[in-house]
Amino acid sequence: MMIHIGPEDIPLEEIIRTAKRPEVGAVVTFLGIVRDDGIDGMEVEAYEEMALAELDRIREEAMDRFDIRSVDIVHRVGRLSIGGDLVAIVCAAPHRQAAFDGCSFVIEELKRRSAIWKKELSAKGDRWVSGLGRRPIDGDQDSGG
Amino acid sequence: MKVNVVAFANFREILGKEIEVALPAGARLRDLLDLLAKSHLGLHEEVYEPTGALKDTAMIMLNRVNIDSQGGLDAALKEGDELAIFPPFAGG
Repeated sequence: MMIHIGPEDIPLEEIIRTAKRPEVGAVVTFLGIVRDDGIDGMEVEAYEEMALAELDRIREEAMDRFDIRSVDIVHRVGRLSIGGDLVAIVCAAPHRQAAFDGCSFVIEELKRRSAIWKKELSAKGDRWVSGLGRRPIDGDQDSGG
Repeated sequence: MKVNVVAFANFREILGKEIEVALPAGARLRDLLDLLAKSHLGLHEEVYEPTGALKDTAMIMLNRVNIDSQGGLDAALKEGDELAIFPPFAGG
């Protein structure tokens, strides 16, 4: 299983291939990409030590909570173009519902708990995307997944 | 005593990624922030509400634990502490 934060392209096909094991009947993949909200691209940064530790905790929680066999989480950092891959979650389970539930749980917890920030780049001015805050609010308006 | 400050996102743009700060013994978090604000334009406004309370958009960890559970702005600092300051998370 892979937990990774880095500037490299996400090896999604390789991750999916590794997730396919004899006891697995469903692999659900979430791929968050940079959406064109009138921006030129995005810059992503992370407090890596803290984010990696939290992603590991999120994976463990998902494994405890759902009947899943593996969870892979890869988040890119650095300058990303429109349409570029931003984050991938791959969740493998014997049955599809657990794989869907696990994947959904991981991306929602990642957005709320991982020390990662995005800056939208635009000729009109760059803007740090507002996060969920210390007092959680419903939904966020950003150009990512 | 010396403490290490790491900053991310908008706070990195003001403070730089990592700085070492010398403080008198017995200093508290508020003293550190006030000292930094004197030499880094814009920091005070990013950290404090006009009332003097910490902004919701300024998250501070002392040795990777949220300061809310360590006395907030009155948290006592010691030699070698690591302070991290950043806005609310916005990954994914």
